Amino acid sequence: MDVTSQRTGGALIVSVEGRVDGANARKFQKAVESVIDDDDGAVILDMENLSYISSAGLRSILLIAKGLQKRTAQFAVCSLQDAIGEVFRIVGFDKIVTIHSSQGDAVAAMGS
Amino acid sequence: MNVSTSITMQPDAEDLENVFAAVEEFAERAEWPMDLVFQVKLILEEMAINVINYGGVEEDDPIDIKLKTEGDTVTIEIRDVGQPFDPIKDAPDPDLALPLEERPIGGLGLYLVRTMVDEMHYQWHDGYNHLTLITRRLA
Repeated sequence: MDVTSQRTGGALIVSVEGRVDGANARKFQKAVESVIDDDDGAVILDMENLSYISSAGLRSILLIAKGLQKRTAQFAVCSLQDAIGEVFRIVGFDKIVTIHSSQGDAVAAMGS
Repeated sequence: MNVSTSITMQPDAEDLENVFAAVEEFAERAEWPMDLVFQVKLILEEMAINVINYGGVEEDDPIDIKLKTEGDTVTIEIRDVGQPFDPIKDAPDPDLALPLEERPIGGLGLYLVRTMVDEMHYQWHDGYNHLTLITRRLA
């Protein structure tokens, strides 16, 4: 699992690569939270290269989303692989987290 | 195609990596589609993590896994020596209608497993939890 980040168009884009599972979900969450600055008003989690996620990873994403909501920062995820999009739908995360099909769409939506 | 394999998992999340590698190797032999490989990994992780976190298992209490493909049917058998736990009766469904701020942390793993299988059988027998999960996704 690797986490990288960049700032584009006023949004912080955090990209995750590999697997987020029961062995590394906490590490994933800490890695994401550590790249978010207090003045980041919009955070996009890019999952294009995320190949696997379990409930442990969903838990981390929920905690990240809750943390951002508390300080009224925007949060969205983008570019989910099919199997991961399916997992998001099953647990109803598509109702509580904004999902965009591409990073470009996500950045455009955050800017508006 | 009828093939089967046995995987022994140490009761440690760090051993998931070895389990996933064994599933991938078996999936190639069984000619499973990608989405089934994802689901089987997820099912094994959710059940194993549950045993590790709540089953009270010791270091030398491995989790025994069997995977079997027969025609269009995939059978997953999991045996552990943890506390008796019936994942069919003992775990409530989460409330998926709650907004973000009210969503509890956790409780999604077993729900995911239940939605991904066609049959789930549980038995407490000879001091072991025996769980059998069946999916007919290969039809």
